[in-house]
Parts: sequence; structure tokens; C-alpha cells
Amino acid sequence: MAIGLKVMKRPGTQVSYLRATLKGMALTFSHLWRPKVTMQYPEEKSSKDWTLSPRWRGTHRMLTDEQGRAKCVACGLCPQICPANCIKLVPGEDEHGNRYPLIYEIDEFRCVFCGYCQEVCPEEAIHVGVHYENAEYSRDRFVYDLERLCAQTHPVSTLWDPSDPKGE
Amino acid sequence: MANDVVNLTIDGMPVSVPPGTLLIEAAKQAGVLVPHYCYHPGLPVAGLCRMCLVQVEKAPKLQIACATPVAEGMVVDTQSEQAKSARMGVLELLLINHPLDCPICDQAGECELQDFTFQEGRPATRYSPDYAKRFNPVEDFGPDVLYVPNRCILCTRCVRFMEDVTKEPVLNVSERGDRAYIGIHPEARLDHPWAGNVVDLCPVGSLLSKDFLHKARAWELDKTASVCTGCSQGCNVTLDTRDNVVVRVRPRPNLDVNRYFICDHGRLNYRWMNRGDRIEAPLVKRAGAELQAVDWDEALARAATVLRGAGGRTVALASPKLSTEALFLTRELFAGLDWTGAVQIVMGEEAPLAGVPNLALRPERAPNGTAAQLLGYSRDYAAALKAAESAAVVLVLDEPEVTIRTAGALIYLGTVLPDGARDAEVVLPIANVAEEEGSFVNRDGRVQRYFQAKPAPGMARPAWWVLAELLTALGRGESLAGPDAAFDRLARSVGAFAGLSYASIGALGKPVNTAVPATA
Repeated sequence: MAIGLKVMKRPGTQVSYLRATLKGMALTFSHLWRPKVTMQYPEEKSSKDWTLSPRWRGTHRMLTDEQGRAKCVACGLCPQICPANCIKLVPGEDEHGNRYPLIYEIDEFRCVFCGYCQEVCPEEAIHVGVHYENAEYSRDRFVYDLERLCAQTHPVSTLWDPSDPKGE
Repeated sequence: MANDVVNLTIDGMPVSVPPGTLLIEAAKQAGVLVPHYCYHPGLPVAGLCRMCLVQVEKAPKLQIACATPVAEGMVVDTQSEQAKSARMGVLELLLINHPLDCPICDQAGECELQDFTFQEGRPATRYSPDYAKRFNPVEDFGPDVLYVPNRCILCTRCVRFMEDVTKEPVLNVSERGDRAYIGIHPEARLDHPWAGNVVDLCPVGSLLSKDFLHKARAWELDKTASVCTGCSQGCNVTLDTRDNVVVRVRPRPNLDVNRYFICDHGRLNYRWMNRGDRIEAPLVKRAGAELQAVDWDEALARAATVLRGAGGRTVALASPKLSTEALFLTRELFAGLDWTGAVQIVMGEEAPLAGVPNLALRPERAPNGTAAQLLGYSRDYAAALKAAESAAVVLVLDEPEVTIRTAGALIYLGTVLPDGARDAEVVLPIANVAEEEGSFVNRDGRVQRYFQAKPAPGMARPAWWVLAELLTALGRGESLAGPDAAFDRLARSVGAFAGLSYASIGALGKPVNTAVPATA
């Protein structure tokens, strides 16, 4: 059975493409006056129409007390709950005999940003952050130690609140 | 037989127990754990926490299960509305001043206050959030014990332990009412050799071990049944491991040996199990060279060659920390040869636990001296060392402080490589007590099994495996499938162990057949 073919005829003589070009450019230039849908990202990070959700879960931040010390008491719940096993915690004592993390490291590459660590923390110390700019020059910089976690300044996630599911 | 048992009903379940049994123990037989704080089976009954209130039919008031003996035809309801609300009330009072510091409390996860509050406590406090809880600073009670008064629920288990079990009453309940706390004699320290048990007895995190402080959380620990290697008493213990590191030793109840207690010597005698400087591969001496790492086949073949060529006297210097199986297989290795076997037993001071008969930290600081004796090893280590000088083959089993001078060939089986063993022809790495399964015979002739708590490093193998393979290489006997097979071989050829097997020994041990010769 023959296959139905539609044979296009090329223009037999030389024709001008000018009209078609102008038509195309007219469409292009008409976009210049339409409303913008993009954001000028590095200069502009949020706008009236769009901001990062307060429930965004990004790289971590450790909150500190008035003396600037991490609020963490090394209870061990976050490494326990962490599904990605990305938190390393070695508990110890500080100079006042209080329980305190000697080592607290989060491997942000392993992290799946589920936010369980923030949810489980009894001291409201570890939080996932509303933050997404994480570029580094070397891979090992992605293991955040306690000092670095405390030095983060970005806002922290509000997570999803079951008693207020729509965030009102 | 009618007088030998009392029949009663607990939560609808018929139970038969001997007369005089306490209700709380009878309830355990019915599978009901009545919440309790002051009651502990190893201590005299105090009946002061009022946590174990249960309803007994026809009794006018709720009864405390820990101080009520069973009676014929008793009908007990532990879950009646009245009993539950009474216990909830007790918990509410206990929690008034108990700090909410579970995240930093070492007891969290194995805390009876936590458990019973979750089981039947009130979900929320009725106190205002502004109520300032009672606060007292942490006290240092003794070498290994810290007292956190805030967490104390005044069950007085520690007080009764020191008073009735150690017979050294240095603790009491000081002050009254809501100011009460556990006080220590102003001139005394909690430094009795068995004082560490108060940490285990404490149902909450009020008495803490300094050794274990902040080291691990209860839910991270893997628990393995084992036997203490501290002395010849052979107390049953549990090894708590975290990431294959032994972090704590706790007593494992065995009414025939150590009841519910272990001494501080045994409690702290675990660090050597985590040594990092272990031999991880078999080593053999090549001509004119240092020891070199080889695989098991080559090392065993070399050791077999050395043993096969042994003409004359042979000496085995064994550690009394070796399993009975390893001691037996060593003896098998020298069967038919002129051999001397000896163990070196370090002696120390005896530290009895006054309130428990036949329980002490024994002077003989080795777990398996009795088995060595039953298997014909001598205790005259000096004589054996002297004999080793002129021996053709000397086999040393895990004696880290060994300094051997010998004209013959030296084979060393050990966990670590001491300088004295660097002249050995063959060095075979073996597992230590936490890394293998085996058995010890305690001073009363009780065979007790211990289990593997963590993997052995590198290529190290249990001593019974190494020795059985060596026997196989010599053409005597077959490879053994496991430590149970090693024990079966022992039971077949040594009368004292006849009829025993791993299955019949179980977790709590069995006495050997022959009377154990008394040691000096």
C-alpha cells in the first residue's frame, strides 16, 4: 500500500524573504512592551509577586543563645531521626559541666532536607534554613561544622504546621 | 502438693506461685508489669513509692503489689479505673518537681519514670507554666557516682542497697517533705567496691556513672549477654556496645551467681576490649627478616610444620582469659607430646559484698582459671617459663606481658603483639572476649557462656577456630562449624563437661560434673 505523501512545491522563482523577516521581528519586538515574567536574579532575589516560601527547607542553621553559644544539648535525637544519616554528633561537656556537642557536623550533600531534625529538636537549636545559595569551591566545604552552622544568618524554616495546614 | 502453690487470678489470668510470693512478682508471671519505683527484687521491700497500687477484690482499699503476699483465691485487677487513677495521681506528684531534662539525661530511654509516665501518666501538667521547679546542684558522691537531686524521686533503692546489701550505710534520706533528698554521710564517700550498683538501681537519672556520663544514648546501644572477666566469680554481665565499641558493662541478673549486682572493678574493666593496636593479620617469620603478614592458609601451614617437627618438650603458656574451648583445643594440640601447660593468674584483694552470700570480687583476677585447672594446666607459671627455656616448641596464648626466652620455636596466638613475641615463628591473631562466643568456668565450677558483642578486627579469628584449623592441618580432627561444636568435642573427651552442651548451658550457666579442687 502506498504511503500518502504530500509533495510541497518549492517556489519556482526567486522570492523576497523580507516580508517574513519583518513579521518575525515584529513579534520579537512586541515582547519588549509586554509585562516581564522573569526576575533579575542575582540583583533581585524576591519580588512583590514571588518570594521564597517561609516553609522552604534549605541548608541548616544552628540557633545560639544570648552568649552566642549553640543551643544544642547533644541529646542525640537528630542523628537518630535523620533518614539520610548525615548528622554526626559526639556529645561531651562544656566548661560548666553542661551537656554540649563536642562535634556536630552535617553533611549537606547527604542531607535530603526533610526537616525532621528541626521537628525533633527539643531545644529548637537546629533548623533548616530558608536559603538556597550554596556554591562552594570544594566539596569538603559542604560538611558544615558547629561553628559554621552557628554563623549562618539566613531565616529559618517555619516547617509545615499540622494545626495550620494552609499557613494562615 | 496443695500447700506448695497458691492459686490466684491476676487481670483474669490464673496464676500459680509458691506461698509468700509478692503480688508484683506473681503479676510478672501473668505477663503484667505493675509500675513500681521503690521495689527491686534484690532489695528489701520498702513500700513507700505507692506506685504499684492495684485493686484486690474484697480488700477495702487499693493494695501495694510489692508488699502484699499472694493468698489463695485472690482476684487482682491491676488495670481497674480506681487503680489506674491512683497511679496516675502518684505519677503526677512525682513529676511536680522532676525536671524536663530528658534530652540531656543519661537515663533517657531506659528510665522507669519515662516508661511509666508514657504508659499511664497524665498527658499534661496542671501546674502553671510559671511554676519554678525545685532546684539543687549536682553532688559528687564518689569515684564513679554523681547525684542529681532534681531528678530524684526518693525511691530509696540506693539507700537500701548501701544499708542492707553492702552493709555500709553511708546514704540516707535527708530533710522532709518536698525538700527531701538523698544525703551522704558528711565524712564518707560512696567508694565501696560495689557502690556502682546504685547507678543501675536508680530508676531515674538521679545517680549517674561518671564513666558513662554523656557517652551514649540508651537507644543507641546494642546489648550482648556476656560474662565478666574481672575475677573468678564469673558475674553475668551485659556488654553495651555503640558502633562496635564497648561503652558500658552492666550486671545481668543471675540468682545463682551475682544476683543483680557487679562490682566496680568488673564494671570498669572493659576498655581493653576496645584496644586499637590489635594484630589484624597472621604473621610469619621469613628467613632473616621481620615478621610478615600472610594469609591464614600459609600461617597455619607454617605453624603445623613447626608443631610437626617438635621433638622433645613442649610448653603452652595460656591466658586465663581464654575460653574453655580454646584451652581444651590447645591441650588437644599437644596430645601425645611431652607437654607442660600453665596459666598465669594475677592476684588482687578480695572485696566481698556483705549482704549477698558467696559473692565477692575474688582475689584471682581471671575468669577461667578453674577451666585451666580442670584441663590439667598448672598454676606454676614460673616453672613453666623455666621449662620453656629448653623446650622445642612454646605456644603462647594471649599473654600480653610475656617475655619468653626459649631455644625452640615460638608460636604466638594473641590479640596484641607484645615485644616479647616479636621473635615468634608464627603469630596468629585471635579475637578477644567481646568478639567471640565461648564459655568460662567460674570458681564454683559453673560453666557460663558469653556471646559476641562486636566484630573482630581484620583477619583475627576466635581462638577455637584457629586451634581447630591447626589441628586439621596436622591431620587430627575436622574443622569446627562453631564454638558449640568445639564445646561438644570438649564434652565428649573431658569427664567434667560430659553431657553438657551450649543448648543445655543456656544463658545462665550449668555446674560441671566434678567437684572443683579448692585453690589456695
